[in-house]
Amino acid sequence: MPGGDFHPWFFVVVAAWVLVCALGVVLFKKIMYSAVSMVFCFLGVAFAYALLNAPLVAIIQILVYVGAISVVIIFAIMLTEVQHGGYELFFNRQTAVAAAAALIGAAVLAIVSLSADIGPIGDKSLTPGLRPLSKLIFDRYVLPFELVSLVLVAAMIGAIVLSTRERER
Amino acid sequence: MNALYWWLLLAFLLFCIGAFGVLARRNIILVVMSLEIMLNAVNIALVAIANFRGGARGAGTLFALFIIVLAAAEVTVGLAIVIANYRNRSTVQTDTYDELKG
Repeated sequence: MPGGDFHPWFFVVVAAWVLVCALGVVLFKKIMYSAVSMVFCFLGVAFAYALLNAPLVAIIQILVYVGAISVVIIFAIMLTEVQHGGYELFFNRQTAVAAAAALIGAAVLAIVSLSADIGPIGDKSLTPGLRPLSKLIFDRYVLPFELVSLVLVAAMIGAIVLSTRERER
Repeated sequence: MNALYWWLLLAFLLFCIGAFGVLARRNIILVVMSLEIMLNAVNIALVAIANFRGGARGAGTLFALFIIVLAAAEVTVGLAIVIANYRNRSTVQTDTYDELKG
């Protein structure tokens, strides 16, 4: 049903996987459990992209999110972990307000976009294949592509500058 | 109901969970992780709409790729700031960052 030639149960399984893992990230008490849950959540999102006929996005998702970002986050956890206690106060005091705000926001988003006129929606997949997508990157969107690489280099240098210790002269 | 709406519903629920994490957790690294979940939700919506509507010659799929790269840059700088801050203050709890409180 949703998006391609696969059984609707695939969608149900992937959606349940992603949502359960995301809830794990938010609700686990130990931050390392949250990190592992986040890795599985990203993997489920990659499966969602694969179901949406976007295998390139799925592969980049696995490379960048599951491979790189998760490692960076786990390193940050290991560098900053509070050893003695502190876990019992794992929520802010405004948990109920936060839950209400998130629920209301999601409801507003859902109502607005589900009632909006998105135009004719087919059941056929319209995601471009690998070849037209690559042509698009290096032909029409070559300037954003280069700008993104510039941003990435700037972020790398900035991270190095921020996280190196200043030496006293 | 068209299949697109099921994918959008998944994206909204994921976005809601991520927003809850950003608002409610005390550990700032968990806030960063929840932000990543929110970005993933946006990406799912983008790829789904590009898949079903296919406007602008598939630019939606391309923008999802750009968002992934920018998220990588964002998490790098964010965690560098977190670690630099941890070196000075020895804490990653968001409610202790209150110098500007009036």
